[in-house]
Amino acid sequence: MKNTGKKALTGKKLVLRILLYIAVIAFCVVILYPYFIMFTSALKSRAEIYSINGTLLPIKWRWSNLIDIWRKAPMLNYFLNSIIIALGSTAIAMVCGIPAAYALTRMKFKGQNVFLGIVIVSQMFAPVVLVIGIYKIMMTFHLVNSLLGLILVNAAFNQAFTVWLLRGTFDAISPEMEKAARIDGCGRVQSMFKVLLPIAAPGIVTTLIFVFINAWNEYTIALTLISDDVVKPLTVGINIFNGYNMVEWQYLFAASLFSIIPVIILFIGIEKNLASGLAAGGVKG
Amino acid sequence: MKKKYRLIEPYIWILPSCVLMALFIALPIGMVFRMAFSQVTRAGIVKGFTGFDNFIAATGKPAFKIVLWNTVVWTVVVVVVSTVVGFILALLLNNEFRGRKIARAIVVFPWATTLVIQASVWNFIINTDYGTLNTLLKKLGIISTNINWTPTPGAYFAWECFVGIFVTIPFVTFCVLSGLQGIDESFYEAATADGANYWQKLFHITIPLVRPQLTVSTVLNIIYVFNSFPIIWTMSKGDPANRTDTLVTYLYKLAFYNGKQGQAAAISVIGFLILLVCASVYMVFTLRGQKER
Repeated sequence: MKNTGKKALTGKKLVLRILLYIAVIAFCVVILYPYFIMFTSALKSRAEIYSINGTLLPIKWRWSNLIDIWRKAPMLNYFLNSIIIALGSTAIAMVCGIPAAYALTRMKFKGQNVFLGIVIVSQMFAPVVLVIGIYKIMMTFHLVNSLLGLILVNAAFNQAFTVWLLRGTFDAISPEMEKAARIDGCGRVQSMFKVLLPIAAPGIVTTLIFVFINAWNEYTIALTLISDDVVKPLTVGINIFNGYNMVEWQYLFAASLFSIIPVIILFIGIEKNLASGLAAGGVKG
Repeated sequence: MKKKYRLIEPYIWILPSCVLMALFIALPIGMVFRMAFSQVTRAGIVKGFTGFDNFIAATGKPAFKIVLWNTVVWTVVVVVVSTVVGFILALLLNNEFRGRKIARAIVVFPWATTLVIQASVWNFIINTDYGTLNTLLKKLGIISTNINWTPTPGAYFAWECFVGIFVTIPFVTFCVLSGLQGIDESFYEAATADGANYWQKLFHITIPLVRPQLTVSTVLNIIYVFNSFPIIWTMSKGDPANRTDTLVTYLYKLAFYNGKQGQAAAISVIGFLILLVCASVYMVFTLRGQKER
């Protein structure tokens, strides 16, 4: 099935190769199409956007749109809120997830499988199904319209992935080195920090970035819990351009670009580790 | 003393994780159940126990049938199509060719982009008056006048399914790719020596060997797609008249727009039970996988 592509291609093989390229390019074009539209439309004027005789590329490239959005809306606020939410969620998810994954892979205890079962099942419940309950609980804790509230919910709903991916990572690392360290007088915590975590760094980084992206992209709970402009993240905030009477598409897309580009770059970095981690975790149980 | 500590030590390690999930997942679940069986005022104050009243009120509406049917169509269509297309894309990307790294990076895009933005862009693209799909087709000379891409609620719903498929494909592709890359080349060499053709190799070697990854991606996708809220919310808000609603958008409107939190909670419970069945199936699969290890 795998072609090396180095040998001289003839006849049938050449045709297959060409078909492969056509298929891959077709997929890529379709996938990139909305991003192309987002980019070009972000740089059009409103008149051009709404023009009946539209063009594919802007007639006049309005790079100023990219600057205008920061003045027309509290974009800086949204952006900072998104960063705080994503970082906070990641930090809490890791602080809770690392010890749990450590216990699952390095200790034997009663209820181990029950805990793992709960982790797996918790993955099944997206926040939206529980949104009414979450809203009520947050009212009780006075965490409506607060960044902390969003951070905690995001961290909780990412706990499954965190424990899942980290468990897979820790499982693949032999505990022998830690045992040696502990014979040398290291405590558990010390041996974890000094031996396990550095070796597990690639897996930890993958997990970290994945949680960061999930929290950055979260929409439903933010929409529900946050109504105050001061604490809105980007996903909710950019809808300021999605007015009741008129959508300012050019600004909406310009703001969207700022929201998606950093995340896409991060995601490309971890794509390979992530997919195998998720799939392996599932296969292993 | 030390022995006692060693016994409870593991529980201390899992405690933070347990507390986090208890407060923000288990507690809301309990709250949803409580509200589903109680009278809830418009202001959200939970009053006495009412048995199944909320369930009867919520499921008795004509809209509920439409919404339930939409949810089934949405979940099945999006999961099946994206699994098939994602699988094909994975087979393509598993070949070695120039630009493969770039192609892989491009496939990541929809996975990394927040759904609300994806949905906005597609909403813009398919607009009848100024949408860029019409512009593109006109420039290519395929059409001469603008086409109304969303003449009926059904057409709108179909577009929403399309966007759902679009964003779900990468997850399938990468799961399958991770499986494909673990397949030993010697299987194919042996099959080729035996005179097997491409399709025989695909159905007798490739598919059985990536079955675990396909199972994971399919089951997880059923759950994600069932729960997916932003696409439909952004594109149509379930309008007109619930014709494009799924359970999650319907319950959201009931709770936060119509002030019927009790009924919304009842629908949450129904959704919860449906997911629990999915979760159980998933558990059976993973536990079986563990035994085989």
